[in-house]
Amino acid sequence: MRRVLVVEDSVSARAFVRAVLEAPEFAARHGGVTVLEASCGFDAMRLLPRGPYDLIVTDINMADINGLELIHFIRKSAHHATTPLVIISSLRGEQDVDRGIALGANAYLGKPFTAEQLRETCERLLGESPPSGLAARPGEPAKSGSGS
Amino acid sequence: MAEGGGGRGDGGDKVRDEFFSEAQELVDGLGRDLLALDDALKHGRTDVELVNDVFRAVHTLKGLSALFGVTRMAGLSHELEEVLDDLRLGRLEVTATLLDLLFRAVALYSRILAAEKGDGEEPSAEIEQLLLALGQTSQRPTGRGGGGVAQYDLDPALFGVLTEYEEHRLRSSIQQGLSLFRIRVRFSLATIDSALDELKASARPHGEIITYLPSGSGADVDTIELEILMAGRATVDVLRGAIAAPNVAIEEVRRRTASSSQPAGRPAEQLVSQAAPPLATSGAASSAPPAAPRQPPAVATRADAAEMSLRSVSQTVRVDIRKLDRLMTIVGELAIVKTAITRLSERARARAADPRELAMELQRLNRSFDRHLAQMQGGILEVRMVPLGQVFDKLARIVRQISRDLGKEVNLVVTGADTEIDKLIVEELSDPLMHMIRNAIDHAIEGRAERLRVGKPPVGTLALNAFQKGNHVVIGVEDDGAGMDPKGIVAAAIRRGIVTAQEAAELSPRDVLALVFMPGFTTRDVATDTSGRGVGLDVVKTNIAKLGGVVDIASDVGIGTKITVTLPITLAIINVLLVEIAGRLFAVPLASVDEAIQLDASQLRAVDSREVMTVRGASLPICRLDRLFGLAPSHGARKYVVIAQVGTRRLGFVVDEIVGQRDIVIKALGQSLKGVRGFAGATELGDQRVALVLDVAALVEEVLSPGEARFLGWQPAARGA
Amino acid sequence: MAAPSKARTEKRAARRAGEMGSRTEYLAFLLAGENYAVRIGHVAEILRPPPITEVPRSSPTVLGVISVRGRLVTVVDLRRRFRLPEAPLNTPMDRRARILLADVGRGEQIGLLVDEVQQVWRLAVEEIEPANALGGEQPAYIAGIGRPAAGDGTVLILLDLDPILESP
Repeated sequence: MRRVLVVEDSVSARAFVRAVLEAPEFAARHGGVTVLEASCGFDAMRLLPRGPYDLIVTDINMADINGLELIHFIRKSAHHATTPLVIISSLRGEQDVDRGIALGANAYLGKPFTAEQLRETCERLLGESPPSGLAARPGEPAKSGSGS
Repeated sequence: MAEGGGGRGDGGDKVRDEFFSEAQELVDGLGRDLLALDDALKHGRTDVELVNDVFRAVHTLKGLSALFGVTRMAGLSHELEEVLDDLRLGRLEVTATLLDLLFRAVALYSRILAAEKGDGEEPSAEIEQLLLALGQTSQRPTGRGGGGVAQYDLDPALFGVLTEYEEHRLRSSIQQGLSLFRIRVRFSLATIDSALDELKASARPHGEIITYLPSGSGADVDTIELEILMAGRATVDVLRGAIAAPNVAIEEVRRRTASSSQPAGRPAEQLVSQAAPPLATSGAASSAPPAAPRQPPAVATRADAAEMSLRSVSQTVRVDIRKLDRLMTIVGELAIVKTAITRLSERARARAADPRELAMELQRLNRSFDRHLAQMQGGILEVRMVPLGQVFDKLARIVRQISRDLGKEVNLVVTGADTEIDKLIVEELSDPLMHMIRNAIDHAIEGRAERLRVGKPPVGTLALNAFQKGNHVVIGVEDDGAGMDPKGIVAAAIRRGIVTAQEAAELSPRDVLALVFMPGFTTRDVATDTSGRGVGLDVVKTNIAKLGGVVDIASDVGIGTKITVTLPITLAIINVLLVEIAGRLFAVPLASVDEAIQLDASQLRAVDSREVMTVRGASLPICRLDRLFGLAPSHGARKYVVIAQVGTRRLGFVVDEIVGQRDIVIKALGQSLKGVRGFAGATELGDQRVALVLDVAALVEEVLSPGEARFLGWQPAARGA
Repeated sequence: MAAPSKARTEKRAARRAGEMGSRTEYLAFLLAGENYAVRIGHVAEILRPPPITEVPRSSPTVLGVISVRGRLVTVVDLRRRFRLPEAPLNTPMDRRARILLADVGRGEQIGLLVDEVQQVWRLAVEEIEPANALGGEQPAYIAGIGRPAAGDGTVLILLDLDPILESP
């Protein structure tokens, strides 16, 4: 089971991302996907302790705590210093995206992106890391991600 | 562009519905913000936060519309965003002309959304024109002048986490020589929302909050630590006094000034002189644009006035959570009744109870159930209620646009925006109110010169008000314009063939005014662009009648006009007359019923294969509903006639019995029965029995088709072609 | 080897049944003496018929409307729709008659009046014949023929509700 945190202030954009990640074929390939939604930086901070997360998807232009500050905070934290992180944003200036990557984001998807692009990016980032919480214990073979 | 509209393949319609709902909210909010900006501009202010809010709304709309494949909207938003970014970064100034463009954009957004839903054409031409005008507005920067930052003891890493906009606000504050403060706070997760709102409210009068930085390790899951960066002119003590709260520590960001007094003076001067040139250049830059777009708006405005509807594309309602809480309480009480019933049924099965006692207990529970069910019904109807302010906001935009188009300054005064009414009615109301307002501004309110001549204030006043009166809501549209001249109305009505001279002479003053609601009426022979499109007040009256409401007009020549619309609070409950036809029960909405009398067979005669009854000397066509509906007639001795009136037409429906008057909740018949004529819906009468509700207007139309109009008792003189 | 025990025979049969591939559940009902069935997922509810209010001038296949927990539901006469023999005049509705509620979409439901509701059959792919096996042009609402293996010769006419719901 993969856990994904989506941080985005637009309700329908969150619904769109959730629909892509929870689509049966995609979810099945990753042993099931649970999506948690945060509508702002504060909510994201509230949900972070409920991790660990296998993937974080975040917008940059949000009120109060902007996405960059959130990424900075996430990368400083003990549990999510290396969690795969995608920025989804429709920014005009490259400066903000550059700052995001500099702070440790792994990928950037510019809005508008297609469902296919989102799937590909998430597929790649999820595939490159083992499922959180299922790390093999010594003496046990590592479990594959497709446990029921 | 997102292929095929992102939301459609995955999760389908539901996600797309979310889009429409959110987009509509954003557009509505945008409209309100623009009105506020307009207001601020009139008073010589610019609200930086508002400009940023407008930017963010357009930015979000851009992202959303692109994601869901609404390309036109994405394209428009992209251009708007450029201009708004220039505005918020100080490269452009807010001017009335610029606001005009923004208002036009909002109107276009609504039309694009409607077109996406299949309601209307996409306004491609107008979008092109607006894009052209916007393209000429946006300016490229002449340097932002970044000096002065080094003076402050700020962590350089800070710039790595600020967005471009936040950085601009910071530098701008520094340029203005404001003090910077760090406010460290620790909030408990449970109360952070309200605590934060309070802090923002206390801080706002003293400056601008630049950004919120999460600090702390995040190890404690119950609290959040933040470092808030703020700029302002106050001293740190004042700030500490204003934002006093536990877990709040405020300190000023040190300014590095050289230790000796002289150098201390110079950096300050440098700060000031550095500030001057950038401001001057940005001033020069922004004085150029207003000249350019002057042409396009003039050309485009006429086209824009074309059919525009104020309806929302979204069918959703925002609900006050307290209303939902009340409903939950009622559900809880219903659950208690249900448990009692279960216990009772167990006892009955076990034959453990005295039948009489059982019966009494059942009856008690039944009454309790009824009561709670009625409360629940009331509660749910309440949820459908929305404040009229929703439609008043949209009307404010229209007023602004029309008054600019016509060059008439109009002051809009709104009261009672809190008054609540059913969401469906609000949607249906927007357009009729818009037409009334158009009429008022175009025809009623005089131009400046004329007003001064007759001793009125130069600016006309349009007052929109609403209040609740029992089961009804009363909405008034009042102007202090020229008023309606009864003589002019009569003349125009005669000219249009709506009444003959003799009939006109017999009309009371009120009836004369009511003539303006007749189809084909207009006092203008030349259609003006804004309202002469044949959307007469008759359409307004019909639309209001469809909602079960009535329109009244009162006017004094030279003083003003007031149009009053009275509507039932909710469409869902109507007052009906229950009648029996061929052994079945039907409901006739009382709003369309004039009276009910006994059928006097001696007064019947046949005229050209139609039955007509003489009532008080006038001929009333009648209709035997049992025959019309193909039901086996009952042959009772006594029958009754329910006389319905729709507009100027009267028709008597023959029924077997008049059962009584009732308030009912009307439900729509399903799509499967769409083709059936004559029924507005149905209602449950209790005991699972259903009675159909007659659609009186449709039946009158069906029975009295135009060719038969000559049989009406009183009728307008022959109409000119 | 000793004869296999009864339990093991049953187990083997069940496994074989499971091996026959995925099965779909169908709700069977009686209408004018014939057995019909619809996919159970399409039936939202089964009701004892409440009083049905006739709607004058509606299509002949519409029996009327009923109220289900405050909502209006149109009831379709399947006999008329399928052009089956009419029930003899003035027969009171059999106490076994039921109304099946099917979702049409957008929150609307349609009720189908049937003579009697029978049972649920789990049909495997092999137990279903396509409609054209009946030969000739079959109405759109017939989706196929079901012959449950354990049915003792029962033949079910499988219905596709969409054509019925779209134009009742």
